[in-house]
This record gives sequence, C-alpha cells and structure tokens, in this order.
Amino acid sequence: MDEETIVYLVFCAMLLAIVWVNVSSFGGGFNTYIVVILLGLMLAFLLTWTFADFIVFPLVMSTLGITFQPARYYKITKGQDMVLKNVNGLYYATGYLTANLFAYVFKAERIQEGEDVRQLQAPEAWEKALMSISFPFKFNIIASGLDIQIVRDELEGKRSYQEFQLSKVMQSANPNESIIADIQRKINVIQTQIDRISQEEKPIATLMYVETTAVGVTEKAAADALANQTKQLQIALGVLDVQLMRVVGRELYTLFKFGYAPPTTYEEVATNFDKQK
Amino acid sequence: MDKKLFVFLGFLGASIAIILTDVSAPSTTISPTLKILLLIVGLFFDALAYASRYYTYLLLPIVKQRKRFIVLSDEDPYWLSTTNDALVHKEGEDFLATVYVKIPLYVSATEMNDDEKINFTKQISRLVSLSRDPIRFTTQVNIMNKDAYLSSLRATLGGVENEEAELTAKNAPQKMLDRARGKASMWRHMFDNVNAAQSLEMVLYGSVSAIGSKEFEATSMAHQRARELMSGIAAVFGVNPSILTGEAILKAVEPEHLIPYSTISEQMGKALREQVT
Repeated sequence: MDEETIVYLVFCAMLLAIVWVNVSSFGGGFNTYIVVILLGLMLAFLLTWTFADFIVFPLVMSTLGITFQPARYYKITKGQDMVLKNVNGLYYATGYLTANLFAYVFKAERIQEGEDVRQLQAPEAWEKALMSISFPFKFNIIASGLDIQIVRDELEGKRSYQEFQLSKVMQSANPNESIIADIQRKINVIQTQIDRISQEEKPIATLMYVETTAVGVTEKAAADALANQTKQLQIALGVLDVQLMRVVGRELYTLFKFGYAPPTTYEEVATNFDKQK
Repeated sequence: MDKKLFVFLGFLGASIAIILTDVSAPSTTISPTLKILLLIVGLFFDALAYASRYYTYLLLPIVKQRKRFIVLSDEDPYWLSTTNDALVHKEGEDFLATVYVKIPLYVSATEMNDDEKINFTKQISRLVSLSRDPIRFTTQVNIMNKDAYLSSLRATLGGVENEEAELTAKNAPQKMLDRARGKASMWRHMFDNVNAAQSLEMVLYGSVSAIGSKEFEATSMAHQRARELMSGIAAVFGVNPSILTGEAILKAVEPEHLIPYSTISEQMGKALREQVT
C-alpha cells in the first residue's frame, strides 16, 4: 500500500471511528445494530476498494447498467472490459490484457538461473507464439529509464537492512537456519541487481499489455469474438512465462487513452498503475 | 489546487458535515430513523471521497449527468496535425502531440545462430532502455488492406471475361476460345484465392509524446523526442527508422484501419451468405 492510499484510507476511516464512538446517539436498541452493520459494510467497502476496485467497480457499473462514452464514436460497455466503436454498421470491440514479463523485467525478485538459456530461447519463443495467432493484436511495452543513482541507493539501502536482519538473527540464542537461508537469498538477489547496474545495465520501469480488436455485426457478436480472441492470446502468449489477465475498469480507460496519447512522464504511468515491486 | 484533491476534499467535507451534524444532534430534534438515513448519506459521500482517488474522471460526470449513458467527452479523441505526421489531443488547456516512428526490422530467429539470438535479445533490452521519458514500443499485427489489389484483379478478370465473351460471339476458332477460357479461369482462381482469406502484416513502431500550451509547441517537442528515438534505434539496430505519416498513423490507432472495413465486411457478408444457403 503506498503513502497516498494510506492518507485517503485514514481520512475516510476516521469518520467511521467518529460514528463508532457516538453510536449511542442513534437511539440504542435495534438502531445500534443497524449502525454497526452500516459501519461494517463501509469498512468492507474501503478495504475491498483498496485491494480489488477492479472487481467492485465493474460489478457496480454492470448492476446499474451504466456505460461511458470516453470520446466521440467510442463506448465502454457496462462490464467495463471493452471499448466498442460502430463503423458503418460493424462493431469493433477492443480489449486489453496485462502482460508482465517477470523474467525480462529488471526488478525480478529471484535470481535468473540459466539467464543465457532464456535469452537464447526468447526470440524463437516469441516468433512461435506470434505464428499461432491469426487475428489483429498489438503487444505494447511502455518503458521508462530510471535514475541509476536513485535505484542503486535504494538497492544498497535494502541490502544494508537485510544484512542488519541477518546479523540480528545470527546473534540470537537459537539462530533459525531457514530464516538465515531466506535472508541470504534476499541479499543475493539484491546484490545481483546491484552488479547488473555496475555492468551498465540500465534500470527501467515497464508496463506491458496486449491489445486486440474483434469485429461483429452486432455488439454481442463483437464481444463474443473478442472474448474468444483474448482466450487464444492467453494460450499463445502464456508460453512466454507471461502473466496475462483481462484489464477492466479505470485501467481499461487509461490504456484506451494511451492508444492515442501515450504518457509523457514516468509519474503519469506510476500513478495509474500499481508498481510491480 | 489539483482537481483530484479538490473533488476529494469536497466529498469528504460534505461527509464530515453530515456525519458531525448527525451524531451531535439530540434525538429530540432529529428522530432516530432520520439519523440513520443521514448516516447513510454521510457514508455515501465518504465512499465517493475514497473512490475519487482513481475515479475523479467519472464521478463528476456521473453526478452532473445522472443517466445510464455517461458522456465523458463528445469530441474526437485526436486529430492529425497540419503537417500530417503527428496525432494531437487536447488535454484541458494543453495540447498533447504523439509521433510514431516505424522501426524497419526484418529479421527472424530462424535465420540466427545462438550468438546472434543472444545479441538480438540484448539489443531489445537496449532499445527499451533508450530514454528516461516513457516510450511506447508496439508490435502490431493487422489485417492487410487488399482493396486496391482486389480492385485491380477484378478489373483484369472483367477484361478477360469480356474478351472470352467477344470471342464466343464471333465464333472464334476453338484454340483461341480455349486460351481465353484458360486465362479467365486462372484469373478467377487467383481472385478467389486472394479474396478467400485474410492476410496479415506485422509492423514494429515506437511512439513518443510531448505536451505544449500550443499545438505547434507540442508537435515540435514531440518531433524532437522522435528524432532522439530515431538516433537511438539507428545506433542499436543499424536501421533507418522513419516517421509515420497520414494513413499509416491511423493504422496504429483506429480499429477500422487495423481491420479494414471493406475487407472484413465483404468476408462477413460472404460467410453469412454461405450460412444462409
């Protein structure tokens, strides 16, 4: 959870605390139960919205039957999972999938064993995946270089913290071997990342997503064709060790805008999407 | 003040005012039932305040329009610049210009040995880490627009069929008739083969954006970034990238250019006729 989320949560939850402290002012008896239930529901909403707004938002919009027009001739359906455009009676439905290539992103959490083998296999695996797809799609990577010194300082800070934890555990009366091994593994991962920066590999932040468009004579036909295409993409690109999930809600709207107006600063990407750490 | 913060404080303020009034008012002035209703309204504004973190772009239009079909924008999402080589989008009072750079890379992993494959993977890593500002790299597979080619085939076929009809009418020698019929059959088969299925084409391009207070300022800055990107691409791959113009840009953003309307509508019509018969 980042700092901005915490600030929003604190201010909004503060009101729940005020109501809880003054619950007796609602008349007591059955009313107290109603107030407690309302507070519980509100707390559940705050927590669910924090971690899973991509579930709650489409559900609310579907239930209320609300659709959006993000720009002229375009429509975001009530399921919030596709953008529709009607061109001369044909419906074009565009959907998005996330594609986080963990193995190829600098901020990998585990040491890549056999990295040379993976680099060797990557181009051929990519071409084979592409050959099995027979409909239009786009594979997008939004990449932004990060400040080397800032990233290096951050990594060295993390390494120092892990080394401090390790020394604490080693000095304890009964040092736990599995905890020691775990901390040492983390130190090795961080050290590998520092070494890669030293070898002039630049740290980058990336956002990867796949976009596909299907066409149909009706909205439903286009939506069904799109669902079929996204499933095929998940199968075809899954061999690349890629986590592919359908994008819904506000992120769909953001990616739609990125189609004709890519972000100009790293912050614009970071504020819209949760950072992969 | 940032619009998002303004919306958050507005909803939070409303929520605080309603809830504080609700809890502080004695039961003699406001009945317990009304207190519960006011609490529900207060919590609703609290939920809106929390939701405004990511959904400011939706909340105000929903509150203002109060319909099932919410219009976020009634304008075209972008337009081509006067120089025909950039897309321009209005963002509030500013202009955002996007330039697309084609990367002419025609290599296949099947033609590479192991060292070349590893080298190619490293080149891709260098490509995505070219700049501190975000760059979007896209591999796009789209349906080829064969309209012009099909038109020429249709014209040729028409000419050959006319020739056959004239020879038949003149009672020409059998040898000439067979030759004409053979020609017509060949062109008919070619036309059917080309028209039978979709053809796909793949293109790789990068896109960069810049913001300016005037259109020409935004397009100039976007072109500057594009030139830097082109230098980087040339240095990494040793190819000559070029800026996409006119119709080629629309292929990168418009779904009806990704799947040409004329090509797909003819094929869908044919499929429908086959289903009916």
